[in-house]
Amino acid sequence: MSLVTEVTFSANGREVTVPASAEATLLQVLRLELGLTGTKEGCAEGECGACTVLVDGKPVNSCIMPALAAAGTDVRTVEGLAGPDGLLSPLQQAFVDGFAIQCGFCTPGFLMTLTALVEEDPHPDPAQIKQALSGNLCRCTGYTTIVDAVLAATGNGGRS
Amino acid sequence: MELHSADSLEEALDRLQETGGETQVLAGGTDVMIQNMRHEISPSALLYIGRLDDLRGIAHNGTVDIGPLSTHRMLATDHIVRRVLPALAEAAGSVGGWQTQEVGTVGGNLCNASPAADTAPPLLVAGTRVRLSSQSGVRELPLDEFLLDRRRTARRADELLTGIAAEPCAPGTAEAYLKLGRRSAMEVAIAGVAVRLTLDENDTAVEARVAACSVAPRPFRARATEALLQGSPLDPDSVAEAGLMLVREASPIDDGRASAAYRRRVLPDLLARTIEVCRSRLADRREE
Amino acid sequence: MASVGRSVPRADAESKVKGEAVYGVDFEIARTLYAALVRSPVAAGRILAVRTADAEAIPGVRAVVTARQAPPILSGLALDDQPLFATDVVRYEGEPIGAVVADTLAIAREAAGAVRVDIEEMEAVATIEQALSDGARWVHEDWERYTRAPGISEWPRSGNVCGEMRAEPDGIDEAFARADLIVEDEFRSDRQYQAYMEPKSATGVFEDGRYTIHVSHQFPFNVRDRTARALGVRPSDIRVIGHHIGGGFGARLDVGLEPYAALLARLAGAPVKLVNDRVEDLLTCNSRENAVIRIRSGVTRDGRVVARTFHCDVDAGAYATDTVLMTSLAIFAAGSVYQTGPTEVLSRAVYTNTAPTGAMRGVAGPYLYFALERHMDNLANSIGMDRRAFRLNNLITDGHRMLNGQVLEDGGIVETAFSEIEKIAPWAELGKGPNRGVGIGAAVWLTNPLPGQATLKLEVDGTLTVNTGATENGSGAVAMGIRQIAAEELTVAPDDVLLVFPDTATQGYDGGSQGSRTTHSAGRAVQEAAVEVRTRVLQMGARLLDEMPDAVEIAEGCVRVRAQPQHRVTLAEVATAAMFDKGPIMGTGSYATPLPKYDPDAATGLLFPTFPTPTYHVHIAEVEVDPSTGRVDLLRYFVAQEVGKAINPAAVQGQIQGGVAQGVGHALYEGLQIGEDGRYRQRTLESYRLPIACDVPRVQAILLEHPDQAGPYGAKGIAEPPIVPVAAAIGNAIADATGGAIARVPMTPEDVLNALSET
Repeated sequence: MSLVTEVTFSANGREVTVPASAEATLLQVLRLELGLTGTKEGCAEGECGACTVLVDGKPVNSCIMPALAAAGTDVRTVEGLAGPDGLLSPLQQAFVDGFAIQCGFCTPGFLMTLTALVEEDPHPDPAQIKQALSGNLCRCTGYTTIVDAVLAATGNGGRS
Repeated sequence: MELHSADSLEEALDRLQETGGETQVLAGGTDVMIQNMRHEISPSALLYIGRLDDLRGIAHNGTVDIGPLSTHRMLATDHIVRRVLPALAEAAGSVGGWQTQEVGTVGGNLCNASPAADTAPPLLVAGTRVRLSSQSGVRELPLDEFLLDRRRTARRADELLTGIAAEPCAPGTAEAYLKLGRRSAMEVAIAGVAVRLTLDENDTAVEARVAACSVAPRPFRARATEALLQGSPLDPDSVAEAGLMLVREASPIDDGRASAAYRRRVLPDLLARTIEVCRSRLADRREE
Repeated sequence: MASVGRSVPRADAESKVKGEAVYGVDFEIARTLYAALVRSPVAAGRILAVRTADAEAIPGVRAVVTARQAPPILSGLALDDQPLFATDVVRYEGEPIGAVVADTLAIAREAAGAVRVDIEEMEAVATIEQALSDGARWVHEDWERYTRAPGISEWPRSGNVCGEMRAEPDGIDEAFARADLIVEDEFRSDRQYQAYMEPKSATGVFEDGRYTIHVSHQFPFNVRDRTARALGVRPSDIRVIGHHIGGGFGARLDVGLEPYAALLARLAGAPVKLVNDRVEDLLTCNSRENAVIRIRSGVTRDGRVVARTFHCDVDAGAYATDTVLMTSLAIFAAGSVYQTGPTEVLSRAVYTNTAPTGAMRGVAGPYLYFALERHMDNLANSIGMDRRAFRLNNLITDGHRMLNGQVLEDGGIVETAFSEIEKIAPWAELGKGPNRGVGIGAAVWLTNPLPGQATLKLEVDGTLTVNTGATENGSGAVAMGIRQIAAEELTVAPDDVLLVFPDTATQGYDGGSQGSRTTHSAGRAVQEAAVEVRTRVLQMGARLLDEMPDAVEIAEGCVRVRAQPQHRVTLAEVATAAMFDKGPIMGTGSYATPLPKYDPDAATGLLFPTFPTPTYHVHIAEVEVDPSTGRVDLLRYFVAQEVGKAINPAAVQGQIQGGVAQGVGHALYEGLQIGEDGRYRQRTLESYRLPIACDVPRVQAILLEHPDQAGPYGAKGIAEPPIVPVAAAIGNAIADATGGAIARVPMTPEDVLNALSET
């Protein structure tokens, strides 16, 4: 039985150990302990998806995930999407080219969910994309440019 | 508040034996973390059981044994569940969005005992039995007797939910889960209905099981509705009558999502459509 | 053109996709302390005691502040009725009573919860009807002693009516007498929360007797001015620095947490940051007001509207803020799209014990046009005329005189919009089939005329820096529009135009990203600045090329001899040469839209008197309703929008798609309802339903470009209007599909079932 006060996991490929209180969420640890502020708090109740990160390849709402639950896992955030040379991932580039960003606050969360989607299914159709994005809210774009960007990035170029 | 992580079932049961009354069990956390942040609960300790891998997984041994730590996503995509418990797969795939499904567990869904727990109606029509373990032993009871009231189950403070055993759909039997919400997805149900139907060669209902969520303090088996459907040729009038009975068996309230009046209004049709899905699934199977 | 008119990518796209963009919530400086506000748990009551001892005892707490430590000042946007902290009474759930400053946000929030506030609860004035009823308790006992904010003209107010706009032309009764039929309708709209994804925050610093506030905000100069008045200091004692904004939609136009951040920084002797959690943000946001509208029109059997009365009551909440200005919108909506004959308009803003309401995209438009367009459908149906034909029969033309006396010289564009949209959405073919319907929403909208200023600096490397207080709220008006205008003017690549964040200390003024004004006003200011820069560049370039200034031109990022284009110098060379000659090359521009002429006697209390740079819009929605659940499926959605000139077509399409999505939310899913106790029923994003991807159809939009003489390259404001006619179009489509009454927004599945069972 362990009384948890710290947690170790891989953050974008780098192993880290950070203090974690009982109430600490993965989001708090990422932002406050690791300075990875690309992941955002939009609601703190798992409704908006702005806090989405990948844990062992699965999209989760880090705002309601106990930091402890990430122990031993591979956590990926938006900061880990671009290559070491700064080259944007195909999804990131498609967002830029396709005007899928307005205020941008929801963008990291969308990119993480979509990264998981195309890793699971390299050629999703528009219905699948929208369904996969049920847990990601965007207040600015009305979603269509985001769906189109995914189609463009996965070689389905063109519109739904 | 403290957080303890159990590395084995023994340890978990030990801790619950000592401090069960003030300890909140934490699995996926999709309900507990929010309730804690909103101060709806204030446990002095959290017991994280996510490392108890033996409680995770799905196996078909005559009954379908579902580990309580199985996530909704697992249930929605697992080939066993999709084949012999399709209503459960549908329900699990409708809980929140993808993020919620990857982390939320069926055990957590049942123990949280929200009146709107999506996995409950399909598990109820599957005649599910749950297993509760403690240092004093193991006991089993029907899910119907486990879910007592809004946010209240039969689990004692020193017990952990360690097993969920559901009856698979047999040949000649089909099931479905339909859910009504305001938006297209990412919804807490306004109403949810699960139906498991066995038809004979004349398309008469040999057995009918009906369960609903979000229209009563707890998800429940609608026994009187089932009695009306049993032996019925499922013609529109019989189905309509069953729908009205379902409304009588339910006790919906006004809440932020919908009014009681609306729920009463839509329930009969929701039942009718769920029955229709079952029938067409059976028809499809016959054609194969 | 090289830049203007092209879909050039955003300047900030890369930082946003990499998660590097720093928003207000992300902004951190050294030594920052954190604060949380102590907020009233009830909607109305008398404060008996505030006990801070428990909170002060919590380790990590640095200060607990109440009204006693704040300047005893009442201030407001139009009316000075609002204190920083409640003193004797609380007037809405969430009203600040005090604040806790602590080492961490978690401690501050915990300690705020430990402040004991004894309140003798009063019965809340929860609804407009209650506020207006005989013998209603006054939400503000001292309403008579309140004074106006500087620069605002008088308007009538009394008791719980904090604002009133009234237009009572002659001849109304006679006009009604000429009607064959009179139709009367009542409509209601719930509050809409802007629901930007980034919760509000503010960081305050107090140093050398001056305040600096870091914030993501649409209107930094308003933060400066409002905070200065709230704290009793000069505007220049406050410096507001802007950061990336995670959405605003009007909620970030007035002050929120900024005055508290500033005050607490001074009291605590260290920088102080406040951050709303989502529940707090939702409960206390200056959301779009709820409204009740009654329209009565007289119509002739041959399809002409001959008379109208339009009465509107809107809920200002506990403080007047800018809702008193919203009352003016009624006079525009009531008689701008269609000829209506003599029209009486009365619009009142009413105090209630609820969170003060405020600006949200398309201020007042969505509910005003919902009412007007539903009423138009009812009028058409009452005389058995086709709903589109009826509209065309009453449509305004060029030279239409609005109810405020302003003339819409180009009003005929709305008819063009009808005929253009007909090409992609043929009226006769839509809404056919069981449970299907089609609806029209048409609107006239404006471009806010507030002034803007910009400075252009030509760097020694040939890049341009635009220094302006104009804010990039996500629309792209700065990250795309302003950049492209500057690039076009000086013939450089958009990537060579650099932007800086707003800083009220070093920039002239900008009226905020509101009313779709940024591209138009700040864009004009950039153009004016560019004129100065071009003049200096040409002079210097001519000297370097040994030519007369009129023999050279700016092209391709160079100054070149017109007759011998290969004889040229780069802008970098020009800037470098100028540096130690005449000095660095910079230009300044200022612009304020001249107000159109109007009749000041047309109405009393007309605080927002004109519709400058008007635009014209027609929306068509096609729906299918589910007769067993009442759910609405939005099959198709069409928009025809007048834009003047699309500086960046992708950006314009983005505003249309996004604005319609917010309109879909308003029409079908969103709505803050108020309980009898004055508290919101919807309190989280679980209960306040925002549209998700599956809920929003792809909008098909046609852009009309009739250039505006004054706008940069002819551009008019484009970003607000897409939300304005949506509830109207969808409401009319649902009414058409169900055959029943649709009179409330949001239109819930239950409303749809009720409408179906009427027929």
